[in-house]
Amino acid sequence: MTYIINRLLSVILTLFLITLVTFAVTNILPGDVAMMIMGTQSNPEALSGLRQSLGLNDPLLVQYGHWVGGMVSGNWGNSLIFKKPILELLSQKAVASAIIVIMSMMIALALAIPLGVWAAVHRDRWQDTVSSSSALLGVSLPDFFWGIVMILVFARWLGWFPSSGFVEPSVNFWGTLQHAFLPSLALGLGLMAHLTRMTRSTMTGILSQEFIRVARAKGLAERTVVWRYALANAIGPVITIAGLQIGYLFGSIIVMESLFGYTGMGWLTYQALLNRDLPLIQDTVFVIAAVVMLTNLAVDLLYIVIDPRIRLG
Amino acid sequence: MKDIVSVDHLRVEFATDSGPVVGVEDVSFTIAPGETLCVVGESGSGKSVTSLSLMRLVEFGGGTITAGTLNFIRADGSTLNVAAATPEVMGQVRGNEIGMIFQEPMTALNPVFTIERQLTDGLMLHKGLDQAAATARALELLRSVRIPEPERRLKQYPHELSGGMRQRVVIAMAMACEPKLLIADEPTTALDVTIQAEILALINRLKRDTGMAVLFITHDMAVVAQMADRVVVMYRGRIVETGTVQQIFEAPREDYTKALLAAVPKLGEMKGKSAPERMRLIGDEAARAAQAAPKARKREVLLDVRNLTTRFPVKGGILRRTVAQVHAVEDVSFTLNVGETLALVGESGCGKSSCGRSILRLIEPTSGEVWIGGRDIGNLNRHHLRKARADMQMVFQDPFASLNPYRRLKDQVAEPIQNFNLASGAELEARVLQLFDRVRLPREFLNRYPHELSGGQRQRVAIARALAVNPKLIVADEAVSALDVSVQAQVLNLMMELQEDLGLSYLLISHDMAVVERVAHQVGVMYLGRIVEIGPRAAVFDNPSHPYTKSLLSAVPIADPSKRRFADDLSFKPITSPIFPLGHQPAPSVYDQIAPGHFVLRA
Repeated sequence: MTYIINRLLSVILTLFLITLVTFAVTNILPGDVAMMIMGTQSNPEALSGLRQSLGLNDPLLVQYGHWVGGMVSGNWGNSLIFKKPILELLSQKAVASAIIVIMSMMIALALAIPLGVWAAVHRDRWQDTVSSSSALLGVSLPDFFWGIVMILVFARWLGWFPSSGFVEPSVNFWGTLQHAFLPSLALGLGLMAHLTRMTRSTMTGILSQEFIRVARAKGLAERTVVWRYALANAIGPVITIAGLQIGYLFGSIIVMESLFGYTGMGWLTYQALLNRDLPLIQDTVFVIAAVVMLTNLAVDLLYIVIDPRIRLG
Repeated sequence: MKDIVSVDHLRVEFATDSGPVVGVEDVSFTIAPGETLCVVGESGSGKSVTSLSLMRLVEFGGGTITAGTLNFIRADGSTLNVAAATPEVMGQVRGNEIGMIFQEPMTALNPVFTIERQLTDGLMLHKGLDQAAATARALELLRSVRIPEPERRLKQYPHELSGGMRQRVVIAMAMACEPKLLIADEPTTALDVTIQAEILALINRLKRDTGMAVLFITHDMAVVAQMADRVVVMYRGRIVETGTVQQIFEAPREDYTKALLAAVPKLGEMKGKSAPERMRLIGDEAARAAQAAPKARKREVLLDVRNLTTRFPVKGGILRRTVAQVHAVEDVSFTLNVGETLALVGESGCGKSSCGRSILRLIEPTSGEVWIGGRDIGNLNRHHLRKARADMQMVFQDPFASLNPYRRLKDQVAEPIQNFNLASGAELEARVLQLFDRVRLPREFLNRYPHELSGGQRQRVAIARALAVNPKLIVADEAVSALDVSVQAQVLNLMMELQEDLGLSYLLISHDMAVVERVAHQVGVMYLGRIVEIGPRAAVFDNPSHPYTKSLLSAVPIADPSKRRFADDLSFKPITSPIFPLGHQPAPSVYDQIAPGHFVLRA
C-alpha cells in the first residue's frame, strides 16, 4: 500500500515538472499567438489589445498560473486553427490514438512473445537465428516504410483494409478497427524487435534456473514448464519494456497517422506544429507526456500483480 | 532383495562446438531398496551428470546418453530402461516414482507461484487428486518435513521463507508421490551447518519411515561419512572405487580415494595439539615434515579491535529515511598477534564478513577503534587510509569474480605495486615473477587471463595480488570455501607456509569448523553481530562453553562413519533478526574469562 502511495506522489510531482517544461518550451518557441489569430497584416493597436485580453502581457508566472488553473478547472482554451475548445478536440482524438496504440502494442506482444520464447527454447539453433533476424528486420526499416508496404499489399493489391481515413467509433466501431489495423500493424512490426529480444534473453536466463529443473523433475510436461513456470517469470521485464515503448509510440504515431490520414492525436500534433497553434501544442504535449507517465505507472502497478515479491516491499 | 536401480556402463556425451565431450563413461552401480548410496567426487567428476541421467534430465543440459542401460524397477514391478524410455513414460516416472532435490533452495522454487501451487501440481498430475485433496496432502507433507505453521506456508510465496524452510518444501515436493527412489544432488551444500544437520536428519528419517532408496550426490566426505551405506567415488567421469562406507573410510584401495580422504579435515582430530598443523596431502609428506616447529615468536599484537560496531540503515517511506538499523557488528573486541591466525566463525548473517570489512574500512564502522601496528585506522583521512591499506589486504571467496576477466594475470598482480609506487620497470617485473614463484604458479601463467585457470589457481593469483604490497594483515573471507577439498588443502597449506616465512597475520573468516580447527591459533565465534566466545583454538574446541558454540559444533558433520550424529530429527533455534528500531541501544558485550584467554559472552 505504501508502495502505491509513493508511486502516486511521484506521479504528481512529475506531472508538475511536465507542466513547467511544456510551458517553458512553448514560450521559447518563436511566434505570437495574437498575430497568429489576427494575421501578419493586422493593425498593431488591435494586436496589443488582443494581447492584453489574452493575458499575453502578464508576467510569465501569471500566464503559467492561468494555464495550469484553466486545465484543472476544465478550461483548456481554444485551438486557433480548428476554432474549437481544445479539451473537446483532444478527448476525441485521444480515443482514436488510444485504439492505434493499444492495437499496435497487442500485435507486437502477440508476435514477440511466442517468437522470443521459441528462440529461447531453441537457443543457439537455427530457430534462434530465424527469430532474431525477423525481429531485426522489423526494427531496421523505418516504420513509415512498413506503412507504405502495408498500404501497397493489404489496401492496394489485396484490398482487405482501407488505405486511409478514420471512422468515429461511435458511428461504426468495426470500421474504426479496420481503419486502425494497418497503421497498428506497421507500428507493431517496429516495436516487436525489442520485445522479442527481451523475451528471449529473460526466458533464456529463467530456463537455466534451478526451479525449472525442479519443475521438470516433478514430471511436468515441457509445455507447462515453458509456458507456465518460465513465462510467468519472464513477463514482468517484457511488460516494462512495452510500457517504455508507449512513449516511443507517441512519437511514431505523428508520422503514421499522417501517412494513413488517420485523424488522431498524432495527426493533431502534426497540424498544430505545422500551423504554430501554440495553445494546442502546449496542451497536446502535456497530454502526451501525462499519458506516457500514467502508462508507466500502470505498468508498475501491474508488476505488483505479476510479482509477489514486490507486494510486501 | 532385488536392486531398485542398476546402472550398467553408462556413457554420457555433451555436444560442443569442437565435437562431443564425454561427461561420464563406464559408470556402473546398483542401489538396493532402503539403501543410501553416496556418489562423491570433486567438481567435474560427473556425479551430477550421473544423477541427472537417471531422471533423463541430462538432455536439457545438452547431454546425450550414448551407451549403457539404466534399469529402474517401477512401482508395478516392471523393469524400465530409463536410457531408452519415451518422454511420456519419463513424465510418469519423474516426480512420481523418482523424486529429486537440488542444491540451491533459494532458487529451487518458482518465485511467482505459491507454495501450495508448487506442492499440488505434481500431485494432481500424477495421482489425479482434485484441488482439495491435493491441498490436504500438501499440508500433510509440510507437517512431515516439520515446517512450522504449515497452514500459513501454503499461501506464502518462496521469498517469504528462509533457506532451510525452502529446502524442506523442496523435499516435501520430491516426497509428494511417495517415490521409491530419492535423488539428492548436493542438497545441503548451500546451507548453514545447523540447517544442514537438520536436513540430513530429515532425509534419514524420511528414508527410515518410507523405506525408499536414496541416491545422495555430494562433494563433502564428512557428509558421506554421516549418510552413506555404500559409496561410489568418481573422478573425471569415471568410477574410481565402490564399497561400503566402512571400507571406503577405513581401507580405501585406490590412491585417489586415499588422497581425497587425507585432504579432509576431521573435526576433533586436533585434540591435544596446541599449534596449527598443515593439511595432509598425499605425496606432500616431505613438505609437511619440513614444517618448522612453531617458532617461539614473541607474542606481539598486530591488530587490536575495540568495541567495533557497524550498523546498516534500513530505508523506508516516501523520503527514503532510515527507519531501522541492521546491527551487523555489535560491540566486537579482539586482538590478533603477529604471525598468527584468528578465525571468525559463524553462520550466514552473523556479521563475520561485515566485521572483516569494517576493520579494513571497506565499509565504515559506526563506532569503535581499530589499531593496526599501533596506528588508529579509524581516524585516518582518505589519503593516509590509502597508504595504510598496503598493510592490510584481502582475499575474497569467489576467485572467479575477484579477478578482472579482461586483464592479464601479471598486470593484476603488478597493479597494487604500481598503485603504491613500490617498484617499476625491471624491478616490478622481477617482483611479479617472485610472487608467482612464491604462490607456486608456473611462469607460463604470467600472460594468461583468469578464464584460462582453475579455481585453485585463481585463488593463488588472488593471494599473490594480496602479497604484492608486503602486507602485515590479510583478511581471508571464506577464501577456500569455493574450492575442491584437495585444492582447498593445497591453498591452506600455502597460506600457512607464507605465514611461517613472512610472519603474516590472518583474519580468517570461515563457516567451516573443521578447517578452522586445523589452521587457527585463536577462534572467535560470532552470533547476531557479537562474538559470543573467543579464545585459543584448543580451549574453544575442547571446552565450548557458550550454548551457541555448543550447538554449532554439534551440527558439524564428522568425516568418520563411526561417529554418526544425524539419526533423529534435529531442530536448532533459528537465528533471530538483527534489525532493530532506530535508537535501540543494545547492552555492551560483557565477558567471563573461564580460562586464560578464553572468554564467554555473559547472557
